[in-house]
Amino acid sequence: MSFIIRQISHTAEGREIIRSTTHDAPEIFIGRDAACAIHLADLAVDLRHARISALSAARISVEALGSLGFDVDGRSVQTADVSTTTGAELRFGGHRLTVAAEGGDTLITVARVVALSESSEERDVQTLYTLKGKLPSRRFAAWALFLVTLALFLAWPIYTYAVSHGVKDRGAGFHADQTWTAGPLSAAHKGLANNCQACHVNKFEAVQDKACVACHTKVHDHADVHRQLRAKGPPGEDAALKARFGKAEGRCVDCHNEHLGAGPMAQTPQKFCADCHMGMKARLSDTKLGDVSDFGTNHPNFKPELLVNPETGATEKRSLDGPVSQFTGLKFPHALHLSATNGVARMSQTVNGGKTLVCKDCHTPNADGTRFLPITMEKNCQSCHSLAFERIGGTNRTLRHGEPDQVVADMRAFYRAGGPPAALNLSGIARHQVGGYAAQVNAIPHAWPGGAVAAVARVFSKGGACYDCHTITQIGGSYHVTKVVQPDHYLTKGWFNHAAHATESCASCHAAAKSNSANDVLIPGIAKCRDCHVGADGAALKPVSTPTRSSCALCHDYHRANLAPWRARGKPDPK
Amino acid sequence: MSVAPTKSRQTSRIRSDGTHEGFLAHKSYRWLKIALLLAGLSILAYVLIDQKPRANGGSALGYTLGTIGALLILWLTAFGYRKRKMTRGAYSLKGWTSAHVYLGLSLIVVATLHTGFDFGWTVHTLAYVLMLLVIASGVFGISAYATLPQMMSNNRDQMSETQMLAALRAIDRQLHDAAQPLDHAYAALVQQSLDQDPFGGSIFARLGGRYGGCATLHAQQTLRVETGPQVDLGHDPLEKVDALLGRKRAILSRVRKHLRYKALLEIWLYVHIPLTFALIAALAAHIISVFFYW
Repeated sequence: MSFIIRQISHTAEGREIIRSTTHDAPEIFIGRDAACAIHLADLAVDLRHARISALSAARISVEALGSLGFDVDGRSVQTADVSTTTGAELRFGGHRLTVAAEGGDTLITVARVVALSESSEERDVQTLYTLKGKLPSRRFAAWALFLVTLALFLAWPIYTYAVSHGVKDRGAGFHADQTWTAGPLSAAHKGLANNCQACHVNKFEAVQDKACVACHTKVHDHADVHRQLRAKGPPGEDAALKARFGKAEGRCVDCHNEHLGAGPMAQTPQKFCADCHMGMKARLSDTKLGDVSDFGTNHPNFKPELLVNPETGATEKRSLDGPVSQFTGLKFPHALHLSATNGVARMSQTVNGGKTLVCKDCHTPNADGTRFLPITMEKNCQSCHSLAFERIGGTNRTLRHGEPDQVVADMRAFYRAGGPPAALNLSGIARHQVGGYAAQVNAIPHAWPGGAVAAVARVFSKGGACYDCHTITQIGGSYHVTKVVQPDHYLTKGWFNHAAHATESCASCHAAAKSNSANDVLIPGIAKCRDCHVGADGAALKPVSTPTRSSCALCHDYHRANLAPWRARGKPDPK
Repeated sequence: MSVAPTKSRQTSRIRSDGTHEGFLAHKSYRWLKIALLLAGLSILAYVLIDQKPRANGGSALGYTLGTIGALLILWLTAFGYRKRKMTRGAYSLKGWTSAHVYLGLSLIVVATLHTGFDFGWTVHTLAYVLMLLVIASGVFGISAYATLPQMMSNNRDQMSETQMLAALRAIDRQLHDAAQPLDHAYAALVQQSLDQDPFGGSIFARLGGRYGGCATLHAQQTLRVETGPQVDLGHDPLEKVDALLGRKRAILSRVRKHLRYKALLEIWLYVHIPLTFALIAALAAHIISVFFYW
């Protein structure tokens, strides 16, 4: 039996060359060594790699000589018995040896099946030097990113909207439509951060007022909506377009802007007020309000609400531009009480440890310091204006303040019980005159001639204890004391907080020391405020050394009367 | 029928003094001037127009800048289709390229003012950041085009890419032949060099030009242990293989540099184009979301 070796190789053009050699020997060698019968120019093959021996007519044995094995039909082995009739495929390095029988001989076909190096393999020079295959293709990456971005930031949030439509509280955690937020919500609405749908009720519809009033149940409209729209003037050219998209004029969000950052809700800019109130008289001829555009430069003087008749409570608004007076029912000259030199001062020094009267001796701030507690006879007046008329044991008997009928009755009873051992001591201010004058007068018997009727008349008449402070009218036989009303504030449409002005002295605003009549109105005019307060953007009519920028919302509240504006309260808006 | 370009056509591309005018300087920087005008007007409007309660994309100016920005982005994207048709004249491809670059850069101003400097973890800021990344990758692309071709040309030294591949194949064949007489251990080293793909390696190896496990280097270093102390008498096959490995290293070094320059010329597009598509998706989400939750 012989071995026929058929070597197949290719020319540079790819043409096949077949060379056959016959070896008439019982065994042949496979290796890189040129002396081997099957010479494989393959660096992955040992110099003498394997030996093939004929076992019988149709069987050969292949045996590796070194440590490197070979493959038989894909299996890695060191030795193998191969039947030439069934044939086999051997693999040595990059060469394939096909074993078959030809006649009585063993035919071994040898072919290189692997290029001798990586670079020798077929390569496409067009793309070989590019990044193709190193990165996902640009087209793939582009579409993948496009679809992923659309899915995450459009489809998912829309899905979230669809499933949370009408849900009251979605609870904490991530909701995809939060990626759509235009910015953090203000402190007032922080609680709604998880619930976009609370305000953004319907898709492609601007936020409507009903979403606001669902929570804000206690606010009222600023004014009649139709009047407001007239005050604002003709709508802009884009109004119809805006209305089509649910952006009607006069919505809450026109003034109250959200998503402008965490922290307190942004103050409504002055511009929103001025839009209507600037030149409003021309558009709303029947308005009683003056035109306003800026506190510093264009704001009418204050119009305090002044008492006209304390009995009925009738008031009248008068501008501080003109002469103003009021009638509270009380006679109280501030100048007299604040003097440092007169009898009042002397008396105060006597009973008050040497001090003359100052504002705070009578005016006590209320709990939050905004305004002052009402003056009372008991607390503020009677330490000087005593109503005591008799001393029994260690106890003073006093006339009852605020009850004229009781006063009359008490005095009559006093006289009926035997009359005064000394004259009844009720001359009001006079008895406290300096130098023991009152005591001298009182020591004179019959200084208060007459009986009870005369004494009562004296108390209620000029020079009497009641008359000194009160307005008294005699109707028939009885006396009527006009009701005293103490307004706790005068500017009913604006807000003033005394506590916020604690650094100022009372006299810097209130000319009380020069007021000789209780009818004087002591609240200052706008000019005084403008000593410090300038417009929202700093505008002022005169130079201001330490300007305080003041927009409308510093003093005015839009939706509620008689309450501090939201900003002045400095706390979240109660619903 | 092919028509040879006429001389008059040539003048639009080659200036009278014969020098080439690049796309950056196209028509005496016409598009740079237009872009600067757009940016300047945007800044002027932003400074002069009083935006209450504060500047953001929802004001009248914000909508205007946003619309300009969005239309610009779509137009800039259209360049990807436009560039495949090479034309000349008033709307030449060079003119488009010049406009693409300068108007793209002006977007930085237009879009930043559109944001009103109001940023957050939102789809709106995502669109803005993607836009900036696209612009940044474009700027990288321009700088690559400006500097790399010269370096590439120096490195190639008149060799074409096909020639470089042919050189590699030739040296591999010679190595293969020269290593035939070697012992298995050495033959295996050479085989490793042959088996290693010169065009393999990760994207990072490509961009950095650093190939850690170079089999050719390893083979030569190992052979040198043997050949180093010996006198080269000219008949030791190891010496021949050593010399061939040295030559392969030289050609590999050139190929790898070339691959690095090519990668740097190309890589920005792998950022620029996919991020542009992500940007368009984010832009669509941005615009739709604004009106969805108006």
